[in-house]
Amino acid sequence: MKERAGILVTQWDGYLREGPGAVTTAVPIVEVESGEHVLEPPSKRMQIGPDHILYPILIGLALFPILMGASGHHLADDLPEDETHPFFPDHFWPYPVIMAMMLFTVGLLAALVQQNMQLGPSADPRTVVNPRPDWYFLWLFQFLKVGNEIITAYVIPAIIVIGLLLWPFIDQALGSRLARRLHWPWWPVPGRNVITGTAWVLFMTFLVAFTFWAIVPVTIFGIGGSTT
Amino acid sequence: MAILPHPRQIQMAVVDWLDQRFPFTQSVDEALYQRVPNFANAFYYCFGGMVFVLIVLQLVTGVLLAIYYVPDAAGNPAPAYTSVQTTIMKDVSLGWLIRGVHFWGANLLVVMIVVHMARVFWTGSYRAPRELNWMVGVVLLLVVLFFSLTGYLLPWDTKAYWATSVTLQVMRGAPVVGGLIASILQGSSTLGPQTLQRFFDIHVFILPALVLLFMYIHFRLIRRHGISEPL
Repeated sequence: MKERAGILVTQWDGYLREGPGAVTTAVPIVEVESGEHVLEPPSKRMQIGPDHILYPILIGLALFPILMGASGHHLADDLPEDETHPFFPDHFWPYPVIMAMMLFTVGLLAALVQQNMQLGPSADPRTVVNPRPDWYFLWLFQFLKVGNEIITAYVIPAIIVIGLLLWPFIDQALGSRLARRLHWPWWPVPGRNVITGTAWVLFMTFLVAFTFWAIVPVTIFGIGGSTT
Repeated sequence: MAILPHPRQIQMAVVDWLDQRFPFTQSVDEALYQRVPNFANAFYYCFGGMVFVLIVLQLVTGVLLAIYYVPDAAGNPAPAYTSVQTTIMKDVSLGWLIRGVHFWGANLLVVMIVVHMARVFWTGSYRAPRELNWMVGVVLLLVVLFFSLTGYLLPWDTKAYWATSVTLQVMRGAPVVGGLIASILQGSSTLGPQTLQRFFDIHVFILPALVLLFMYIHFRLIRRHGISEPL
């Protein structure tokens, strides 16, 4: 068998070399543009390269971002080096800890608090029971009892959902107008988020108040809580 | 006898082979050694990650529950009810734990989504250029709420049955499209086996696909925009 000299060939150890020992002919390496991305200098990286025994685990960790593709130029690319830190392991390490803590919490709840997940008897259209939704729909359940059904069941929930969806634009329109009226030098105000914070607190108060009203047997304006 | 290559050399051969077909090493470098601003270390940036962990947990435990769950509501007690109450909760080893984790995970998920949303709200992270990601997040919230709405019926006990009956009744009353949506969800003239089948289909096939798709878009946009600066 004769090898053609001068042609790069892949050998069993994966390196491109000239000469004998060729298994296959060389495949050109596909270059994908990485854009203007600035990465951590190798000196600051963990010393786990492609030849390290733990590298396959690193690939596993990075698989999700690989699916994501290149992310383009970042804010962090423009920051001085001492104002940034590498994603791995500096930024990554709390997440396995958080995951373990969450697994532990959920497992503990599942093991110790059983009565919330107890089922009633099998469903039977003839036995009517007092329907109760999940706790996070209780506020809506109670809200339905207040006022006109068309408004409480459809109009206001629709307004809430559309308002949430379009909030960035509402905030932009309201905020700059309010800033002009109050003679604030700029918008948004650094250090505080007045409109949004107030709206959030009011909305949460509304949800919590109606949830409590649905739980406790309190009658306000002739509308009962849990008993009805 | 041939001399066996060192494991490291085998690994490097595999890595090189892969790199010639897709720039894996470069992608790993870009993913892992990206620089992150120091302000992103604040504790309140981890709530979204917690939501992600919980959604993955729900997917895993949901797949395990689907092995034994029977979406059949015919008869009394219905197979759907006995498959949860007897098979999963009593017969299968650790079935009670898997269902418990799915149940409590779902509750915790709603809590963590509200906390994550509150953080985004408070730091104003929904502002330009992140409006689109905020909207994707709101869609994800709706998907998760629809998850819990459909999941609530699956054990097929009386309280789930009547709660769903009220939900469908409210939906039916909505102007213009209400009747159509309610009849699509209910599937028959009364709330019965057809309804359970449809809720199961939505809970197990449609919504997981939607949640994965929108999570992908959510993370893709986060990677594009980077972590927003704190207040």
